[in-house]
Amino acid sequence: MSFFGFNTTLPRDRAPPIESRGIFDTPDPFAEVARARAEGYQGGEDDDVIEFEDTYDGLGDQLDDDQDAFNDDTFGGGGGGVDPSPVGKDFDFFGRTAQVADVIGEEQIRYSLQQPGAPAASATAATQPTADTALPGAAAQKPKRTGYEKYQDPGYIPDLQAKSSVWGMPKKPEPQPQPQPQPQLQLQLQQLQQQLTPQMVSQAKKMLSLEEVEAQLRRQGPGSIPTQLPLPLPHSMPELAQPLQRAQMPPLPEGFAHLPPEIIQAQLAKGVPPAQLLHQPPMVPEPYPLPAHAPNLPMHLLQNANLPPQHIVPPQRQAMPPAAQRPQQQQPPLPQAPRGNATQLPVITNSQQLMHLTEDQRIAYLMEDAKRAKRNHKIFLLSKGNGLMTPQDKNFITRIQLQQLVAAAGNVADSDSEAVLAEDFYYQVYSQIRGAPRQHPHQPLGHFAQTYLLQTGNRLGGHGSRRQFQSADNHMQRMQQQVQRAVEAAKQKPKNKQLIIEGSLGKISFSNAKTPKPMLNIKRPESSEGAKTMKKPHTDLSVSDRKSVLTNLESVYNSLMEMEDMERTMPPPPDENDPEAIQKHMEWRQKIRALNQKLWRELKVMEPIVPNTNTPHPFIAFLSYPKGKKAIPRIFRHIDQEQRVTILTMIVVHLDSLDVVRRAQPVPGETQPSLAVREAIDLFSQAVMPSLLGYVNEAPFNIIIGLLGLVIAQTQVHMISKTRIGLGILTMLLSRAEIVKEAGQATERDWQQWVEKFNVLFDTLEPTFADIFPSSINAGDDMYVWQFLAAVGIGASPEQQQRLVIAVKDRVMETVTYSKTLPADMASQRLGNVNLFMRAIGLDVELLG
Amino acid sequence: MLFFSFFKTLTNQTVTIELKNDIRIRGTLKSVDQYLNIKLDDVDVLDLDKYPHLSSVKNMFIRGSVVRYVMLPRSEVDIGLLEDATRREAANQAGKAR
Repeated sequence: MSFFGFNTTLPRDRAPPIESRGIFDTPDPFAEVARARAEGYQGGEDDDVIEFEDTYDGLGDQLDDDQDAFNDDTFGGGGGGVDPSPVGKDFDFFGRTAQVADVIGEEQIRYSLQQPGAPAASATAATQPTADTALPGAAAQKPKRTGYEKYQDPGYIPDLQAKSSVWGMPKKPEPQPQPQPQPQLQLQLQQLQQQLTPQMVSQAKKMLSLEEVEAQLRRQGPGSIPTQLPLPLPHSMPELAQPLQRAQMPPLPEGFAHLPPEIIQAQLAKGVPPAQLLHQPPMVPEPYPLPAHAPNLPMHLLQNANLPPQHIVPPQRQAMPPAAQRPQQQQPPLPQAPRGNATQLPVITNSQQLMHLTEDQRIAYLMEDAKRAKRNHKIFLLSKGNGLMTPQDKNFITRIQLQQLVAAAGNVADSDSEAVLAEDFYYQVYSQIRGAPRQHPHQPLGHFAQTYLLQTGNRLGGHGSRRQFQSADNHMQRMQQQVQRAVEAAKQKPKNKQLIIEGSLGKISFSNAKTPKPMLNIKRPESSEGAKTMKKPHTDLSVSDRKSVLTNLESVYNSLMEMEDMERTMPPPPDENDPEAIQKHMEWRQKIRALNQKLWRELKVMEPIVPNTNTPHPFIAFLSYPKGKKAIPRIFRHIDQEQRVTILTMIVVHLDSLDVVRRAQPVPGETQPSLAVREAIDLFSQAVMPSLLGYVNEAPFNIIIGLLGLVIAQTQVHMISKTRIGLGILTMLLSRAEIVKEAGQATERDWQQWVEKFNVLFDTLEPTFADIFPSSINAGDDMYVWQFLAAVGIGASPEQQQRLVIAVKDRVMETVTYSKTLPADMASQRLGNVNLFMRAIGLDVELLG
Repeated sequence: MLFFSFFKTLTNQTVTIELKNDIRIRGTLKSVDQYLNIKLDDVDVLDLDKYPHLSSVKNMFIRGSVVRYVMLPRSEVDIGLLEDATRREAANQAGKAR
């Protein structure tokens, strides 16, 4: 069924006997012809069917039957002396064929790889004679335009060059596993058929036996074979024929001598072993086209005036690899030589002929022959190892080679693990922190490429029991991985970003995903950089203006990252006896120290304190940014105790100008500070306070005393005490003092000092104890206040404790009452907070009833 | 490579991607490549009424260049680390530019 009612069945689909036969089914070479005839008799409804008579141009009649030049080659008749062993009646056809079967197979595969189109093209030839240009006389009578209409012109001389291009182009994309009878065989069959009697043609559907064919041929007699071979023969004259003819051509049995030499020769030329000569073997490859100057090309072809040699050479032949199989092509102009000598050097086909030659001719001939033998020997040597390795073996070798490639290039990547980390920092660190999809938790950081690749390898090849079944897959998998690795490694290699062709004015810049092609290529003048650094000190607006603080912050972070990098590359603790390791360690410490100094400078902690100014100290300004607050824990890890106490002192001294204190002052009418301030306070208590606390808990007592003194002397204690952070720091100092006292580490003198300071603080705070609470009872968390009061209460004298209780009594009662209105868990929390203070002074909320 | 590195950590998380043609797709991020092409699984198109032709799509590959926004689960982003990674990237870029 087709849309336009045409018969859409492709001709190849209409030849089921040929298409569907198995490997060992013998094809019927005459089937097509007979079928064409039979269909032709049906009234010619199907225009696609070609009548033999319509298409036959009579070229076959011109075949020269006297050209038995190749008899010698064909029948191994001793002239060359390559195969001198006499042929007995027990000639081993199978054995001889088997000897060359491998070569045939290999050549077939190789050829089909190199010229994918050729087998298909030739395969269609038999079933679709009109479509094949190898049949010059096959005139197309299709209604459709086929491009071959001109062949209907009897005077048309086919252009061989144009046709030869057909061989290089895949006409039928689907590869045909069973090469069909070759074009010129088809032609010969047609010639043969023309000479057959009609009743024989009708029989032709049947497979002819060897005897029948012989009989037919004998009946026809040698004279009836046309004198000229069809022109397309050179296309299909296979190179393979030479090894067959020269080295391994088995002598033929008696009966074959009567066959017309041209036919057998053509068959043999295609690599058909004699045993299969009349049974077209399915495995016969489309052999190599023979170069036009091949020495055993029939001379009449070379002499044909219509055929200049370059027409015989199809274009694709030049594209073939100049392998050892084609040494002739490298030889100086052989094509001309035999052509010119053609008259003096006839082709020798049997030894008798050789005897009749002149001495010169014989020498020339023998030389040719020796060349051929040499070439065949080469082929033989080269093909000896064919098929020794399985595909797996080859994969294995390829993997080894790739491995070496990676090993060679991979060193770059290995030594450059820092660069990998720089490229993929987030992923690397994140996977370490969160245990992201990484299967080797202990893999050192930076072996990113390997980890990434091995991961897949482990997953696929991990199960030993299943390995066997996956081995083929694994090869591919591993190869793929190695290629990936090689690519990774290649990526690491610094590449030339620009190509400047010599003598050209411009340059070509390459781009890739990592370094995109720059749209603008502006060279930064060196001076501008210098000017910037020069300008910086002079922008003396303020060291604490927003811009310079943020710049400081960034440089602090950069230093921090540098130090963290340094820490990662810390050499192992040096061995006493290893001076080199000690040296390394010393160098490393030196670097760390330098970085520490840099960080310290950038923190601007040591900037002079300018009293009575509106601009805050640079370090305090630094702390007013969330980024700055977040940096403190990291900074504390990298600085020594002295630097820590300096920072703590700095914070304490500026406690009232700290943003979390200054901006957190309760505003009348508002229950709590604004959201931004609350966030800042939270951040400060999460980021900064633990660091400070961590230091204070180890600080010597005299430092605590000094700090408390600073708070009293330098800051407005009232203001501080109204804020969470301020109270927190005070609590920190007071509780540390209490701990020191409890542990009995405080000397009497220090303790005296402390009590003095504490008394001052208490006296200062006493009037405002009621005000340190958040303004409203339900304003939220007041735990920090109770903590502070507890810390004060512990350290206070009994008299002070009484005053304290009186000061906060109202709030205590309020909270207890309020907590009764709250759900149980919240109530117990509130009461617990109060109890914190009450217990510190030896009381309990329970006592309050 | 910062974004590539970043998105790699989000694999197997549910993200919502808004394309430059306003289609918003929620799905599980399967993989990302250096062009920030995105492979999504178990996709859900928001405003499916507007884009009925996507109702049967279960997974997709999105070319990186057509993505306008990627909405991420906040808890899966380590902000401090990301800040540092950004600083490093900036330093790298500055180093390259010079």
